[in-house]
Amino acid sequence: MQFNQILKKIIHTGVGRGRFWMASIGLGIAMLLILVALQVHTNFNELLYGRRNQNERADYLVVNKKITNDMMGRPELTVFRPEELKDIAAQPFVEDFSVITAAQYNVRLEADQLGFSTLAFFESVPDNFIDVQTTDWKWQEGEQIVPIIVPRDFTNMFNFGFALGNNMPQFSEETIKTLSPGIVISQGMRTGRFMGRIVGFSDRISTVLVPQTFMDWANNIYGTGSAKAPSRVIIKTKDPSSTVLTTYLEEHKYITDEEKTKYSKIRGIVQIIVSAVGFFGLVLLMFALLVFSMFIQLVIESYRNEIRLLITLGASPGQLQRYLLKQFIPMYIVTGIIAFAAVTGLQWWASGQLAARNMFVSQWPGIMALVATVAILALVYTVNWLAVRKHIAEHT
Amino acid sequence: MQIQLSAVVPVPLRERILQRQSDIWNRDVTFQPGQFIKIKAPSGTGKTTLVHYLYHIRYDYTGTVSVNGKPWQSYDRDQLSAIRQQQVSVVFQDLRLFDQLTALENIELKRVMHPQPYYPQEKALEFAERLGVTHVLKQSGATLSYGERQRIAIIRALMQPFEWLMMDEPFSHLDDANADKAAKLIAEECTARKAGFILTDLDHDQRFDYTVSYLL
Repeated sequence: MQFNQILKKIIHTGVGRGRFWMASIGLGIAMLLILVALQVHTNFNELLYGRRNQNERADYLVVNKKITNDMMGRPELTVFRPEELKDIAAQPFVEDFSVITAAQYNVRLEADQLGFSTLAFFESVPDNFIDVQTTDWKWQEGEQIVPIIVPRDFTNMFNFGFALGNNMPQFSEETIKTLSPGIVISQGMRTGRFMGRIVGFSDRISTVLVPQTFMDWANNIYGTGSAKAPSRVIIKTKDPSSTVLTTYLEEHKYITDEEKTKYSKIRGIVQIIVSAVGFFGLVLLMFALLVFSMFIQLVIESYRNEIRLLITLGASPGQLQRYLLKQFIPMYIVTGIIAFAAVTGLQWWASGQLAARNMFVSQWPGIMALVATVAILALVYTVNWLAVRKHIAEHT
Repeated sequence: MQIQLSAVVPVPLRERILQRQSDIWNRDVTFQPGQFIKIKAPSGTGKTTLVHYLYHIRYDYTGTVSVNGKPWQSYDRDQLSAIRQQQVSVVFQDLRLFDQLTALENIELKRVMHPQPYYPQEKALEFAERLGVTHVLKQSGATLSYGERQRIAIIRALMQPFEWLMMDEPFSHLDDANADKAAKLIAEECTARKAGFILTDLDHDQRFDYTVSYLL
């Protein structure tokens, strides 16, 4: 006969079994909530960053300061100070970053074919921030033709707003590309004349762009001499919906294309819900642990005489601890397995549902859920072990 | 394993004990390994108290009880249980069997307490046969007579290795014939282990070849 078999006849852990079951169910629900919260978090990350769900690997945001009524007429308030630029560049969500260089000279576009001329402006950004793929995008000193990229919004405004309203013909992008407006740049008495050529249309940067080389040369020759501080910057970011990014922009009163950052709101809401579920799970886990501890105390208290006699006869506290833990631990492991299996089932189901909507998440729970299951079981074991040790020690 | 008492005086019996002569209380006494020791004591002189001090389940005394040169208090719980499984066994006056176990299970409890039992189960059955309690082995501890319980408690104590066996009036509920059988078994088992015992009783007796006798 084994020692533990004899112990089983002396110490029945059946006392207060109802409470133990309740606590086990509580533990199961707590684990389920925590695992679901973790899994939703994992899935959400996978939806946002997973390779299968990625349309574009990075996104570009043009950021400027919000112009308020106080700032009007004080352009020095709308430009970025050097320390502000440094701070933006240092943010974790910024993968790449550049200022948008503004022209320090006056620009006039003359479209002879159309019979109009207009005041305009140029800006430039480094080539790697431009979304127009063309071999024409280059300029060297001495060349007469200056490539230009205009925002697609401009052509849309012209074609669908201006042209229709004023009985003017609409132009296709191909036609516009054949136009070669004259460019007159000037500063005081100095004047330079070039031929412009529209080489592409940008959805990303809403300004009239010229190559950086041209801008640098022209600013040097026709500029006022003092470099203008940048009022707009462009950042490359992996995740435009990052709440960190939007919070940063809000805090510094910067603005950007809100269409691109709108997901951050949804994400914020999901994060709050997930955190709430996870928090509730943790609270429930704490209560389950409390009930387990009380149950253990109840069992040991009701058998204190037997435990004292066993210790007197020479049973070691360790032997009794191991025996008592053995009565409870299988239940915890089963609970943990059931909770993990439930999350696995849910994940499988959710992955099918999402796949039907072209969103892809793994069919299996993430490693985090597995780690959390093991961690929670380890915590439950530790708390139980401490409770058993403490209450047995009271009787030895 | 040497047991030493040094000026031990039970706190509750202090006044009474200091008024009378004792070979044990308030003296320095050493029990050498392998000795068969008889402590004769009239009622109320602290017989059971002494056994509890020697087995270290009561601590309300002044002076020190040392085991192998170290006071009992310096042993921790795990060391104590190791000593009680391997070096010191006991027969309590109140026997202390588990009512919820059968007689045999009570014996087995002590036999298998250590993962490597000292004796196989056959030994328990053999001892039960010798002491005439085979027929009660399957009975619950609660239904046994005092005499049967006492013999079961003795067999239980003999199921483990020991260097000292403490016995508190071990034959109080046995008739002479049964007491003699039990004494013979105990003496054999002690000799086989080269162990000593400390036996307390009310009266003088010739059941053992005592090495030394004390008056409590």
